[in-house]
Amino acid sequence: MQLISGIEVTTGALTAQKMRLDIVAQNIANAQTTRTAAGGPYQRKIVSFESELLQRAGLPALPSVRVGGITNDTAPGQKVFNPQHPDAGPDGLVQMPNVNLAYEMVDLITASRAYEANLSVMKSARNLAQRTLQIGK
Amino acid sequence: MSSLASIGSVTAASTPLVSSLRPEMRAPLAGAATPGAPGAGFGEMLDGLVSNVVTKQTEANDITRRVLLGETDQLHQSVIAMQEASVAFGLMVEVRNKLVESYQELMRMQV
Repeated sequence: MQLISGIEVTTGALTAQKMRLDIVAQNIANAQTTRTAAGGPYQRKIVSFESELLQRAGLPALPSVRVGGITNDTAPGQKVFNPQHPDAGPDGLVQMPNVNLAYEMVDLITASRAYEANLSVMKSARNLAQRTLQIGK
Repeated sequence: MSSLASIGSVTAASTPLVSSLRPEMRAPLAGAATPGAPGAGFGEMLDGLVSNVVTKQTEANDITRRVLLGETDQLHQSVIAMQEASVAFGLMVEVRNKLVESYQELMRMQV
């Protein structure tokens, strides 16, 4: 029984956008990390979405969204001259992560606006359902 | 008068729903409304509605518990499940109100 229309699609979108926010948080937190378990500086993570078909009994499938994959941005980061740094090379240069804070802030705003948009859809769908129950009062 | 009998079942069922879930109400719906036998079909449909509401409330309880225990951080799923359960409960109460109203209307009829 589906009482609130489109709620499953929106749930998928909210989960996906939340994951995007988490990844932006990771990128910003690691903006200065020069040493990782894999070796080398932190590499910026990029989230990509893919559509997901939700099967419903007796009804056509609905396209929702899910996180397709999290990939590393392999572009090299900038090199900073800092000979005292423990991760500095023989020439005194430190390889910094390729995180650009301006990009991350833009991503953060985009992701939170997208999350809010999906929340508005959900709120309005719920209001419609509740107002429908008020018919005849 | 079979519709009046079903009023009793719905009113009785809706009261304990909020506080506790009685085990006999968790029985899944075998078959929804079957056309042809109007009384029995409607009763079964109401039974299905009630067990649907119970299922939704159980789901909402479960996911909210998991969020509170920190097993998942999907806060929105918990809130959505609760909203869904609330709308389903509202629909059930609306149906019950309508049934009670028509019963009282019949009782007020001048003979």
